[in-house]
Amino acid sequence: MGDDPVLYQFRVNGHLGPILLTAFPALVSRQQGTETVLTGLVPDAAALYGVLAEIEALGLDLLEVRKIRPEPADPGEIPQP
Amino acid sequence: MTDWRAAGGRAAVAARHGLIDRHDLVAALGRAAGKRVTVISAPAGSGKTSLLHAWAGRPGRDRPIAFMSVQRGQHDAQLFWLALLGAVRAATGGAGSPPAAPGFNGQAMVDKVRSELAACGGPLVLIIDDLHELSSAEAAGQLTSLLMSLPPGVHAIVATRRDPPLRLHQLRLAGELAEIRAAQLRFSEDEARGLLTAAGIALPDPVVALLHQRTEGWAAGLRLAALSLDGHPNPERFVAQFSGSDRTVAEYLMAELLDRQPPEVQRLLLRTSLLDRVNGELADLLTGGTGSERILLDLEDANAFVVSLDPARTWFRYHHMFSGLLRLELRRTLPEDIPELHRLAARWFADHAEIAGVAEAIRHQEAAGDWTEAARLLTDHALSLTLDGQAGTVAALLRSFPAQAGEDSPGLALVYAIADLDQLRLDQADAHLDVARAYAATATPDRQYRLQMAIASLELLSARLRGHFGGVFEQAGALPSAPAGQSNADVALGGDLRALALLNLGVTEAWSLRLADSERYLLEGAALARDIGRPYLEVACLAHLGFAAVGHSFPRARRHCEEAIAQAARHGWDAEPVIAPAQATLAGILIWTGEFDDGEQWLDRARRATQAGGEPGIQLLIHLISAILPAARGRHREALAEFVAAGQVQELMAGEHALTSRVASWTIATQARLGKTGQARATLAALDDRLATTGEIRNAAAVICLADRDPAGARRELRAVLDGSAATNPYLTLVEAHLLDALAWRDLGDERAARAAAEQALHLAEPDRLILPFAMTGAWELLTALPPQGTSHAALVADILDAVHGCGPGHAPAPGRAEELSPSELRVLRYLPTNLTRPEIAGELSVSLNTVNTHIRRIYAKLGATDRFSAVQRGRELRLLSSGRA
Repeated sequence: MGDDPVLYQFRVNGHLGPILLTAFPALVSRQQGTETVLTGLVPDAAALYGVLAEIEALGLDLLEVRKIRPEPADPGEIPQP
Repeated sequence: MTDWRAAGGRAAVAARHGLIDRHDLVAALGRAAGKRVTVISAPAGSGKTSLLHAWAGRPGRDRPIAFMSVQRGQHDAQLFWLALLGAVRAATGGAGSPPAAPGFNGQAMVDKVRSELAACGGPLVLIIDDLHELSSAEAAGQLTSLLMSLPPGVHAIVATRRDPPLRLHQLRLAGELAEIRAAQLRFSEDEARGLLTAAGIALPDPVVALLHQRTEGWAAGLRLAALSLDGHPNPERFVAQFSGSDRTVAEYLMAELLDRQPPEVQRLLLRTSLLDRVNGELADLLTGGTGSERILLDLEDANAFVVSLDPARTWFRYHHMFSGLLRLELRRTLPEDIPELHRLAARWFADHAEIAGVAEAIRHQEAAGDWTEAARLLTDHALSLTLDGQAGTVAALLRSFPAQAGEDSPGLALVYAIADLDQLRLDQADAHLDVARAYAATATPDRQYRLQMAIASLELLSARLRGHFGGVFEQAGALPSAPAGQSNADVALGGDLRALALLNLGVTEAWSLRLADSERYLLEGAALARDIGRPYLEVACLAHLGFAAVGHSFPRARRHCEEAIAQAARHGWDAEPVIAPAQATLAGILIWTGEFDDGEQWLDRARRATQAGGEPGIQLLIHLISAILPAARGRHREALAEFVAAGQVQELMAGEHALTSRVASWTIATQARLGKTGQARATLAALDDRLATTGEIRNAAAVICLADRDPAGARRELRAVLDGSAATNPYLTLVEAHLLDALAWRDLGDERAARAAAEQALHLAEPDRLILPFAMTGAWELLTALPPQGTSHAALVADILDAVHGCGPGHAPAPGRAEELSPSELRVLRYLPTNLTRPEIAGELSVSLNTVNTHIRRIYAKLGATDRFSAVQRGRELRLLSSGRA
């Protein structure tokens, strides 16, 4: 990873209720079918592995991790926490 | 609503850990455990620990089991290994694990564990649970090494949440690695039904199927569901709703479960969720209530993800996933209470530091955001934690501080200094100590003593690590004295610091040749360390006492070394760097007294203990002793290489120290003996004036003269030493000087004067049986020419010649054990090699002639000798003449 924050998406099985969402304050959640997608800016590798560790610790079923290619400056596209 | 206190024991005990119904899986583990290593790798809540307990506790198990669980967030390799060793010993009936120590030799520990596993003779299973908690890469490597080389009959099972960083490919290729993964741990529908049945929950099959499907056989999910279903008014509706929800299993069921608890149980679970472990008292404190212990016990009985940590069931831990969810719920519902909860916990742990350890208190203060308090606690305890082998923990705590913590809490500089010294970053350590010193001057009186004592210790340690023994404590003088009215905690803390300060002071004093002071400090340090239960510091003090005493009494020094080595062995530190000074000093003493082979063995041990480097002082000592051994055997080239190596270490050390003159002297002398007189003279000329006037250097100059066939010149050099006007080590150097004088007389053709000088040397060397100078100088040749009646030190001469000819004590095999001689018999035996008559011996010993006759009769009988000569022969073979004076 470079030094700039990057947009990441984490997809997990199941809907994250209010309790679990407090584990990911920097990410925005969106339900998609029976899955939940968490999106947000991840400042660096350490933060990325922190999110993954939290997902592991909570026993969530991780389906996908994706780096979103930054689109040239359209602030409306990026969900705000 | 299920009330845990009512539901209580029931079938819940039977269902504890879900042990009852997984026979197939337990059997599968049994089969897997036939391979050398089994790895159980599955996510949180899959039932790994339950499986291990079920398998370990099954009836008909045939092998002893060593069970250990890696502590949460284990940074310290040493603590991991000590826990493992403790588990192995508990299984094999051995003593408890040794205490932790600041230094740690991972390889030696692995070897020790392996040999203890092998020693237990029979089969054994080593179980390591929660391996993912081990966050020390060093330890992972060491564990791999152990697992790859388990003794025959020993099997290992490792449980972890993620595939471990252990490189076990070779085991896999050899078919000696078994794996059990999440898929195998999933409950089948039958097993799910079994779990519910055991919990007293009867559901129709389709409902069970639905539940099984929804949880996907995940153990934690099924257990959570069972907890909620227990006593539920409408279980089928519960399952239907659960199935219909898309929420993740863990959160849905956890929320359900929490909802159904009585308010005081909810309150307890939430408010204690931020602890790593909890007991009744702490829980009462955090809930502001009473009766927490009862609630915790009931929760455990009901198998509600609460586990007790000790047989007395006073400490408890929540399943990691469970507490994770509770913590989130706490953050969601009562965020403003969290800092205060951390503060309460921190205060409790700080007040109970003796039983609970201070690291947890610091973690809670950090979590509460009370950085100043956390910094102060860490500053005060960092040294103790390091002595406990928790340098890794200290480093981790330090890393958690925000960037500007250093400015707000300058006391942290002390912690940085400790971490720096631990990692040998000496310049940085000194810089941090400067900051810490300035801070200490402004601290409150109650803390000032501790801080100054800590700084003093660390400065001395830094000096030791650099080998700067010169003027360290000239200005500081004595250690700060303890203020009156200290609390018990203060006294305990102060003890650690004071013992460490005494150790380091003792060592630097010894190297600075203030030997009486050194012995005093080291003895005081050892006694204090014993009192406060710090065996590592005790051993460290004792290990240096020999070195400090060697200047004036070999027997005393030898006793100190042997005591230190015995103590170290008791704690399993015989291969650790801490004991190297004693091993090296003992090697030196043995070589000085002619026991070259034994000395070599101890030297090897000292070398092995310091393989990974070490203080310059010890390295120097080892090189020096590695040099005198070949020198004694006439192998001057080998000796010179080591003397030169010693000199190189000396270059790194600033200022003069105890061995400076000796290293220089013997380097020059050996150069001369090899015929390199030009080089020798150059080395001599390069010495500074003060050094050049010492007795040791005068001796070396004499050796150059002898090599240049200038015995008169040699005698001139020796004059200052012989008349006592040169600064010198009182007798070791004097013995050497007399011998060189004897050689000079021989070269001048005066045999009688040579013999007289040699006799002087023998006279000085007799009490402690100094043999080395005779060997090193080559003066032993003069002794062969001595007529048998020409000396009153015949025994010593015989020993010297034996040692030089390589048939010294311990070299020839003992031709069979003789009966033990009593001390008085030994005393008489020592006189047999002399030319004293029996009446004269009686006079010497102040006993009657009859007594002497009786002793001699018994000596002959016990040694199987027929006369005085053969008795002496036998005595020498059995090393009875080599014990020196006690």
